[in-house]
Amino acid sequence: MSASATRTAPLPEASRSWLGRVAWHWRYDPKLELWIGWWAMIVFYQLYGLLFFLVTRIQPPPDPSFDVPRIVQWFGDRHHGLLIGFGIVFLITGMLGAVNALLAYSMRRMSVSPAFAYSYLLIYSLSAVPGMLLTCIALVVGAMRPDRDPRLISWLYDFAFMAFDGTMGVFLIGSLVWMAAILLDRNRVFPKWFGYLNLCNALTEVVVAPAWIFKRGVFAWDGAITWWIDMVVFVIYTGVFITLIRKMIVREDFGTGPLPE
Amino acid sequence: MKNLATPASFVPGQPDMWAFVLFEAMLFTGYFSVYMVCRMQSPELYLRSQAQLDLRVGVFNTLVLLFSSWSIARCVQAAREGRHPAALRGAFLTSFLGLVFLASKVLEWSREIRKGFQFTTDGFSSFYYFLTGIHFLHLLIGFVVLGVVVYQLWSPARRSQELVETGATYWHTVDFLWVMIFSLLYVMR
Repeated sequence: MSASATRTAPLPEASRSWLGRVAWHWRYDPKLELWIGWWAMIVFYQLYGLLFFLVTRIQPPPDPSFDVPRIVQWFGDRHHGLLIGFGIVFLITGMLGAVNALLAYSMRRMSVSPAFAYSYLLIYSLSAVPGMLLTCIALVVGAMRPDRDPRLISWLYDFAFMAFDGTMGVFLIGSLVWMAAILLDRNRVFPKWFGYLNLCNALTEVVVAPAWIFKRGVFAWDGAITWWIDMVVFVIYTGVFITLIRKMIVREDFGTGPLPE
Repeated sequence: MKNLATPASFVPGQPDMWAFVLFEAMLFTGYFSVYMVCRMQSPELYLRSQAQLDLRVGVFNTLVLLFSSWSIARCVQAAREGRHPAALRGAFLTSFLGLVFLASKVLEWSREIRKGFQFTTDGFSSFYYFLTGIHFLHLLIGFVVLGVVVYQLWSPARRSQELVETGATYWHTVDFLWVMIFSLLYVMR
């Protein structure tokens, strides 16, 4: 990054074509890696919504109190969607590496200890396993082995959604690490209110815990409190941090002091 | 530390904390709305279950937290007037009252559980443990916040009035949420 930053770069001309501007950024923009991470984040979250809500149709989550024949039917109804959708998920999961690196970078740009960035990177690198991949694997197994004992299919169904909705502890700790870094930071990388929003997000991660206990009602994994309200907070939180990271990249000066406004 | 060049804020403490207050208020409005809807669906069951709670404990909890709001307000006022030892006493009194609240809540929970009134007993009991539990968590975070307030007041080298007021804002929010929870769970019939 620093090597490319020192190159003499002709300014991009406004009259250049879109492709020309992309070529200019690719060749000269010292923030290229940051923009790649940011675009990876945009593409990943767009695909995530598309694949989980429309292709596989596993979100909003189905009823946890389905009986065994209904669960087998549920897998049958989504057979192709699960295979195609999660096939793509397995392909794009690697993009999370760039996303996590960008979030950790935001903490490295702060005035706080590097321990924040590295612990966050470690936590979020592991979080995709219980938070997403286990669900995908379990549901793909269920879809690919419809001839198995229906009770095993039913077990996979429970396992998949319990893993997806009930393992928010890693995200909780990650949000608290980011919050602490933002509140202690003196480089004004993010506004303090975003630090407090991280706390709100962390608290909603606790709220999903009752999904382990309840099979129906507002505290089950498809419940109004456990899923719907949490999903609203998650969407707001994600939209906010994508916007703020974009602003951070625009403001980035590769120095060590406060980020310019 | 507040920058002298920036114009005075129109709210006490960091405006950022007020964004948190608003967001939390919206979030709890969601929880309360869901509770009200569920309650309307089976009013008899909720009334019967609600009768298990001891209103006197709820009133005691509320008075303790309101008193703690008063003491943190006294802390802020004393800090504004430069009476930092008095401000510290206010912060310590607030912490003590917070501890009294926590202890009384734990005792109340253990008594209810011994009576067989548990998280999964019925719809009302689930909301009771959920709402008081999530509030309990906010209160635990409040002790970290009070720690920051005490840290600021302790040394003349720090004493950021903005951080003291930000901490007080958080504490008042926790009290405000409790008053709402108390009204919905203990009082409303």
